[in-house]
Amino acid sequence: MARNGISIKTEALCKNFDTVQAVRNLDLEIATGGRFGFLGPNGAGKTTTVRILSGLLKQTSGTAEVCGYSIDTQREEIKAITGLLPESPGLYSKLSAVEFLEFVGALNGRNGELLNRCIDSLLSMLGLEGRQDDLLESYSSGMKQKVLMASTLLHEPKLVFLDEPTSRLDPAASAIVKELILVLAEETETSFFICTHMTNFAEDVCDVIGILNEGELVTLGSPESIIDSAGTSDLEHAYLDIVGGRVDRKALLAWR
Amino acid sequence: MVKKWFHIATADFYVLTAGMRNHRRLYSGAFCALGILWAVYGAPFLIGGALNAIMPMSDIRALLMIMFPGLMRSAMMVLWIMLLLFPMTKALEEIKIGHWEIFLSNNVKTRDILTGSFLGGLPLYGLVTLFLAPLIITPFILAFEVSLIGVALIYTVLILTVLTVLWISNFATAAVMSKLGASSRGNDIAKALSFVIAFAAILPMYGLMFAAPIMTEILGTDIFLLLPFTWSADVVSWIAITFNGISLTEPEVAFFSTILQLDLLVSALLVGAFSVSVLGLTLGATGRVFTITAGARTERITTVGRENFILRGLRKLSGNSFGALLVVNMKDYFRKAQNLSKMFYGVILAIVLPIMMTFFADFGSEMNLIDIISAFGMMFAMVGAFPFVGTGFLESKDQLWIIQSAPQGASRFIKSRLAMAAFADVFLTLIVVVGMTFVLGLGTVDALLLLGFGFIVVIGSSMVAIGVTARNPDYEDTKSPAHQANMMTAMMVPMFAMMSSILLFIFLKITGLDAVVEVAIEPYYFQILCAFIGPAVLLSLGSIFVISGIRSLSSPDA
Repeated sequence: MARNGISIKTEALCKNFDTVQAVRNLDLEIATGGRFGFLGPNGAGKTTTVRILSGLLKQTSGTAEVCGYSIDTQREEIKAITGLLPESPGLYSKLSAVEFLEFVGALNGRNGELLNRCIDSLLSMLGLEGRQDDLLESYSSGMKQKVLMASTLLHEPKLVFLDEPTSRLDPAASAIVKELILVLAEETETSFFICTHMTNFAEDVCDVIGILNEGELVTLGSPESIIDSAGTSDLEHAYLDIVGGRVDRKALLAWR
Repeated sequence: MVKKWFHIATADFYVLTAGMRNHRRLYSGAFCALGILWAVYGAPFLIGGALNAIMPMSDIRALLMIMFPGLMRSAMMVLWIMLLLFPMTKALEEIKIGHWEIFLSNNVKTRDILTGSFLGGLPLYGLVTLFLAPLIITPFILAFEVSLIGVALIYTVLILTVLTVLWISNFATAAVMSKLGASSRGNDIAKALSFVIAFAAILPMYGLMFAAPIMTEILGTDIFLLLPFTWSADVVSWIAITFNGISLTEPEVAFFSTILQLDLLVSALLVGAFSVSVLGLTLGATGRVFTITAGARTERITTVGRENFILRGLRKLSGNSFGALLVVNMKDYFRKAQNLSKMFYGVILAIVLPIMMTFFADFGSEMNLIDIISAFGMMFAMVGAFPFVGTGFLESKDQLWIIQSAPQGASRFIKSRLAMAAFADVFLTLIVVVGMTFVLGLGTVDALLLLGFGFIVVIGSSMVAIGVTARNPDYEDTKSPAHQANMMTAMMVPMFAMMSSILLFIFLKITGLDAVVEVAIEPYYFQILCAFIGPAVLLSLGSIFVISGIRSLSSPDA
C-alpha cells in the first residue's frame, strides 16, 4: 500500500483551533515498517496530528498522505488500512470484551469464525481470557486499554496510530505491548505512529523520534542521535533539555 | 470559623448561574425582584383583570369560595410532588458526586454537604415557585379579598412548605446518589430511576387535568388529613378565611370548618411540627442512615451468558457483518436500564392518556378511528422518539472516534441502530395498540388500522430521533445544550409532521377542492387517507434526518 516505502508524508500541515495553533507547518516522512515516536508536552499537538492523519479531523492547511492515500480525498481508504488507539478508552459499558471486539470487527466488515478466533487469540495474549465475557463497565482502566489495543489490531492494519498506548498499563502489560509492536513491525512490516509521554518506552520501541513543542516539530531523529546531540545520558534528559522542563527544586516550595 | 456549608452552597450557586457569570449579581437580583413584583402586583392585576373580563368577581366569588379548600389541597399535592420529584429527577439524570470525595477528604461533614447543596439549588426552585404559586393562589386571594397581612402569611406558609419539601427531596436524592455512586452502572440505574420518578410526577398533573372534580373529592376525605400537604393547604385556606375582607358570616365560617375538619391552630402546629421533625430527623440520619464515602458502590461484575434465540435468529437471518453489528447494538441498547425505562415511560404515558380521557373525561363513548387518531396520534410519536433521542446513542467522543476510524463506520453504525429501533418499535407499537384497543373498545379492523398507523408514526419518529442525535451527539450529558436541543427537535418535528393533515384540510377548504375530493372518495375513507398523510410526511422527514445524520457523523471534525 505504501508508496516508495513511505507510510506517512506530511507537508506544511497546520491545524488551528480559533486563535490556538495546535500544529504548525509539520513536515514529516515515516518509512514503512517504521516505529515513529511522537513526544511532546501536554497540549503540544500530538493527538491533533494523529486525528488529522487518521482522517478524523480536517487540517487547516497543508497536505498529507497516509500509505499513499490523500487525507483530503481518500479518508475511507485510509481508515480501511489503519488502526487507531484513542487517548482515552471510549468503550461500550454494557458490552463484554468479546462483544465489543465483535462490534469493532463488524464495523470493519468482518464476522464469523475467523473474527472469533482472532478475538480469542488477542484477548488471550493480553491476559484477558478469564474476564472476556464480563461487561466492560467492571473493567479497570488498564484492562480497558488492553481491549482497545486488541480492537486496534483486529483488522490487521498496515499502519497503527497509538495515542498513549501504555499510560494505564502495568509493567507486565506494557512489556507485552512493547514486544507486540516490535514483532508486528519486524514480521509484518506494520508501521507504528506512537504518541507518548513515556520516554523510556519510546527509547526502547521507536526507531525514529519526533519531538513536538507548541505545535512545532523541534527535533527529529533516532533516539541515539537525539541523546548524542543533546549531550545527555538518556532520552528523558534530552527531552527535558529540548522542551525546557528542567525542575528548579527551590521553586517547588515557593508557594508555601 | 469557616462555614463549610456556605462555601458549598456558593459553589453550587456558581455552577447553577454559570451561564450568566459576567452579570451574576445583576441577573439574580433582577429575577428575584421580578418574582416578587409578579407575586405582589403582576399576578393580582393580570389574573384579576382576566377574571373580571370573563365574569364579574361578585358573580364567581361564591363558586371560588366553595372550590377553594378542595382545590388548594389538590394544588398543594401537585406542588409537593413536583418539588419532591423534579429536583430528584434532574439530579439523577446525571450523578455528579466526584466532588463529594473532595469534600470528605477535606473533613467536611455530610450534614454540611447536604445543607450546602440544598441552599445552592434553592434559588432556582424558589424562583419557579415564586412565579407559579401566584397563578393558583391569586384568584382565591381576590375572591376572599385577603388583607395584606393575610397575603404575607399565605406566602410564609408556602415558603415554609417549599423549603421543607425541597429539603426532603435533597436528602432523598443525596441518599440515592450515595447508594448508586458515580459508576457507569450507577449512572445507568439513576437515569432509569429518573424516568420512573418523572412519570410519577406527571401522573397527578394528568389527574388534575382530566379528573379534577374526582381528585378534589377524594382529597376531601378524612384519610388525607394524615398527609402533610393537606395541613399546608388547610392552613392557607384558613388564613384566607380568617383574613378575609368580605365579612364572612359565622355560618359561612362554620361551613368551612366542616370541610377542613382541623382548625387553623392545629393545622399550623402540624405544619410547623412536621417541618421541624423533618429537619431534625434528616440531620440526625445523615451520619447513620448513609455516609457519602468514596468507593465502588455499584460496581458489580456481570458476566454475559449465551445469546437468546431472538439474537441467534437475527444473526442467522442476516449472516453478514451487518447482522453481527445489529446483534451487538441490540445487546448494548437493551442492557441499559435507562433505555428500558425510557421505553416504559413512553408506552405507559401513551396508554394512560386514553385511560384518563375515557374514564374521567367521558371521551371513549361514540368514538371512531379518526377521533382516536386525532386524539392520541401524537402519543405514538412520543413512543417512537423518546427511547432513541439523546442519551443511549454514543457514550463519549472517544467512542465516536472508534466508530469513525472504520471505513463507512458511522454509516454502518447508524443503519444498524435504525434496524434495532425498527425491531423494538414493532413491540412498542403492539403494546400501545393492544392497550388502546382494550381501553377504547376497538374492533379488529380498527385495531389493525391503528397498528399500521401507529407503527408508521413510531418508526418515523425513531428515524427523526436517531437522525437528530447523530447530527448533534450529546454523549450522555443530559445537562448539555445539545441534549436539550435534541429532545426538543425530536419531539417537535413529529408533532408538526402529524399536523400536516390539518394543513391539507385547510388548503382543500380554502381552494374549494374538498367538495371535489368528497365526491371522488367517500368521506370516511377520505378522512382515513388524510390521517395517513401525517405519518407519510413524518417518514419522509425521518429519512432526511437519518441521511443528514449519517453525513454529519461521517464527516471529519473541522
